[in-house]
Amino acid sequence: MTLTWTDWQAIAVPLVLAIGAVAVLLIDAFWRSSTAQLRHTVVTLLTGAVILFGIVFVWAQRDDFKPAFCRPVTEGPAECSLVFEPLTAGLWGVLLIGGLGVVGLSAYRLLSADIPVGEYHFLLLSALVGATTLAGARDLATVVIGLEVVSLPSFALVALRRDRRGSEAAMKAFLVSVLSTAVMLFGISYLYGVTGSLHLTTIANRLNGLDANLERVAFAAGLFVIVGFGFKIAAVPFHAWLPDTYVGAPVEVTAFLAVVSKSAGVAGLLVLVVTGLAPDGSDLRLVIAILAAVTMTVGNLAALRQREAVRLLAWSSIGQVGFLLAPLAVGDAQAVVGYLAAYVIVTLGAFGAVAVVQRHRPSGLLSDYRGMVRSEPGLAVALIFFLVVLAGLPPGLAGLFTKFAAFQSVIDAHLGWLAIVMAINVMIGLAVYLRWVAELFLLPADDPFSVDIETPAVVMVSLFTAAAVVVSVLPSTLFALAT
Amino acid sequence: MNAILLGILALPLLAALALWALPIALGDRLAALYGAVVSGLVLVGSVLLWQRTEGWFAYSGVQQRLGDSMRPLAAVTDGPWIPPLGVRFHIGVDSISVPLIVLTALLTFLCCIYSLKITPRIGRMRSLIALLLVIEAGVIGAFSAMDLVLFFVCFEIVLIPMWLIIDIWGDDHDRAGRKRAATTFVLMTVFGSALMLLGFLLVYRQAGTFDLVQLTNSPVLGGHGVPLAAALLIAVGLAVKVPLWPLHIWLPDAHAKAPTVGSVILAGVLLKLGTYGLIRILVPVLPDATVTIAPYLAGFSTVAIIAGSLACLGQTDVKRLIAYSSVGHMGFIGLGIASLSEAGMQGALFANIAHGIITGLLFFLAGAIKDRHDTSDLRTIGRALYARLPRIGALLTFACLASLGLPGLAGFWGEMLILLGAYNPADSLPRATYLVFMVIAGLGTVLTAAYFLRLIRNLCQGDPADNPASAFAVDLSRIELITWSPLVVLTVLLGVWPGLLLAQWGNL
Repeated sequence: MTLTWTDWQAIAVPLVLAIGAVAVLLIDAFWRSSTAQLRHTVVTLLTGAVILFGIVFVWAQRDDFKPAFCRPVTEGPAECSLVFEPLTAGLWGVLLIGGLGVVGLSAYRLLSADIPVGEYHFLLLSALVGATTLAGARDLATVVIGLEVVSLPSFALVALRRDRRGSEAAMKAFLVSVLSTAVMLFGISYLYGVTGSLHLTTIANRLNGLDANLERVAFAAGLFVIVGFGFKIAAVPFHAWLPDTYVGAPVEVTAFLAVVSKSAGVAGLLVLVVTGLAPDGSDLRLVIAILAAVTMTVGNLAALRQREAVRLLAWSSIGQVGFLLAPLAVGDAQAVVGYLAAYVIVTLGAFGAVAVVQRHRPSGLLSDYRGMVRSEPGLAVALIFFLVVLAGLPPGLAGLFTKFAAFQSVIDAHLGWLAIVMAINVMIGLAVYLRWVAELFLLPADDPFSVDIETPAVVMVSLFTAAAVVVSVLPSTLFALAT
Repeated sequence: MNAILLGILALPLLAALALWALPIALGDRLAALYGAVVSGLVLVGSVLLWQRTEGWFAYSGVQQRLGDSMRPLAAVTDGPWIPPLGVRFHIGVDSISVPLIVLTALLTFLCCIYSLKITPRIGRMRSLIALLLVIEAGVIGAFSAMDLVLFFVCFEIVLIPMWLIIDIWGDDHDRAGRKRAATTFVLMTVFGSALMLLGFLLVYRQAGTFDLVQLTNSPVLGGHGVPLAAALLIAVGLAVKVPLWPLHIWLPDAHAKAPTVGSVILAGVLLKLGTYGLIRILVPVLPDATVTIAPYLAGFSTVAIIAGSLACLGQTDVKRLIAYSSVGHMGFIGLGIASLSEAGMQGALFANIAHGIITGLLFFLAGAIKDRHDTSDLRTIGRALYARLPRIGALLTFACLASLGLPGLAGFWGEMLILLGAYNPADSLPRATYLVFMVIAGLGTVLTAAYFLRLIRNLCQGDPADNPASAFAVDLSRIELITWSPLVVLTVLLGVWPGLLLAQWGNL
């Protein structure tokens, strides 16, 4: 393949993120003379600045179309491996905001002291490089590379604490990731064999004119690719690794897994679906719809039984992915990106609040939160708001309207049965979050949680609350992300 | 005009937020006083809305559709809200919604006044008052929403506050029970509203708009296929809220475990959201599909009347009994709506208001009896209330008589009109079926009388010597008198002058 032209602006954001990653690693390694606080602060600020650059860039260029690594084709438009377009802008915006939130949650005094700062931020930025590449990828090789660049740092992050639980969690994530990559590569090889191309648009074009036998092969190949992604985003029945990994990792890393890593997987799948791997009316869409129904039901039902905060969030994040898959199954990018944005903001907020409590009460049980509306009203109100958004009820209008958009796209695609399953899951999901909310409101509590919350945590949780309030008051901002 | 409506929507919400921002040390009485002032202002605002609206807006009948000029809609605010989803912020009131808004404001106001002196044992009045105000805003919003999605959002606003009210301030003898009751309530309602939302989305797919005014003017026609599915989903979703048999199972527990003010708001106001939705949305927007499902709706309503009444006969808990009586009364309203006739519809609207007033009063009384005896179990309370608490006993008798439909009191007119409507349903409906329903519903009124008279006999009458007065049984206190007298006056007023409301809805 000969590269003919590249609009370098299209890859500016991943490039800057990668340079930043190396920079923070070097700073941490060669600047040992400074105090831990100063070093941590500088690393945090640098990482934040790099991500902020990405956000500003995406915002400024949101309406543009910038292809990269393109080559001309004799018939039809050029084939490009990475494209920056409005959909990419929306996905990058969500991913970068998620990354920035995780950086904020990992500020000095928040991140546990035994985690090496430089490596942590290096891995974080590397994963973001992979995530942005994945969201912009338009050929299958780039998709696989992007996905691997997200995944490898992820389980290194999980293992950073170097204790037994962390290692076990990382091992689980690693094995599953390798397996899913293998499955996906298998599927991709078949797709290549059937269509003779790795470029998504070309594959989409050639899939239309296949004969029946090859069509079956193509379906199986697409199925393998979807299964590979299913492992990454922990869609049921490929979800078994997720709860243990979430609980084994430090809370900040769990937030990263739930926000950046998961969004990257959804973004990749979305790109595959909307660029034509699973065109309107194809059986693959039905597969994703079934996956959505099963995922949300199992995730929510299992979340109902959890007694630990992080485990509850882990299972409920599976349920949320089910809801994300529903509009994804009908190729409604606007609904997916809007849902993802709301999910990212409130998940970060919820993990931020959980991190505060967990730092002082390592057991992490839901009963630790008892009576917090009285003993710690600010944090409790914020947490309640995040949970209500996740449940999708007023006052959490951001959650309500993103669920609404999901319902709308499913109804418009004539998937009535999926809509009914979603309605049932709205009920189960509400039951999940209300259990937690009830604990927060329960009075009198014998040993209510009350501490001096670290300033950075206060700032971050307030920021997430403010963001969640803004998107609740003006839900149209969520849907303006991808138009 | 629209400033008043926006004001009575925004004021309670802002006031609730301000109340939460105030320090916890704020006294319970001060919080109640604050709530009373705010809800008093809302009441004044809602009464101001009343004067200038007349005529129908949404009821289009099945055959004749009124022209635009005959659908006055006042206090309109219309602006885009979420353009990508086609959702508008469109509110306005007409003669159907104003009485319900006034009822909401009145009951909330009375609950705040009541809370000045009489509070649940657990205290925390600051939050209770704030939640009541949030519920008030949500309900008024639902009654004035002219956009399906806005209606849905307002419908959902009340859920979490009501859940909290039952869960936190509910029956303090039975923590597990009140938790279960609250959770059942919120989960069933949220499932119902999700189904309703699916119906709305189907309507949107057919008509391309969520706007109620447009949808009323050019309804989604067709009695089968997608319109029928939409009508079914909307009807089931609203039937959970009404509640219509067999979806009523959340109601008895929720009412029995809720604190007094919670029961009053729940029965007096929240149940009306369901019937209002049927009248405002189902009938005008999906007229043909409604005709298809109306006989079934009527059938379930009739079963509700009988089932509710029979359940009442077996109750030993006074709050549960009144809760089940609500099932019966709401069944009447459902029957009236399902008759699709003008008389039935007017009867349903009238019974809506009357039930809110009378059942509100009944739950206040039940709460008073429960507070005095620390139980709502009829067997433990004993008999001879006339001797022990003569004034409360007398008021209870009055409210029971009003509820069973004694002519001259408010409960009578609604049910009479509904039976009339069932006798003469819309032409497109099978009349013979409705005649059967009417006869059964008529039997239901007899059963209603039976259980209320049984309640009066078991509770109020009896030999005082066998039923010694409990130590702190104080008869009617001043605050109770103040709170209840508006309800008593309205019951009598609407009983002797039903035209006050009926004239608003056009001629019979």
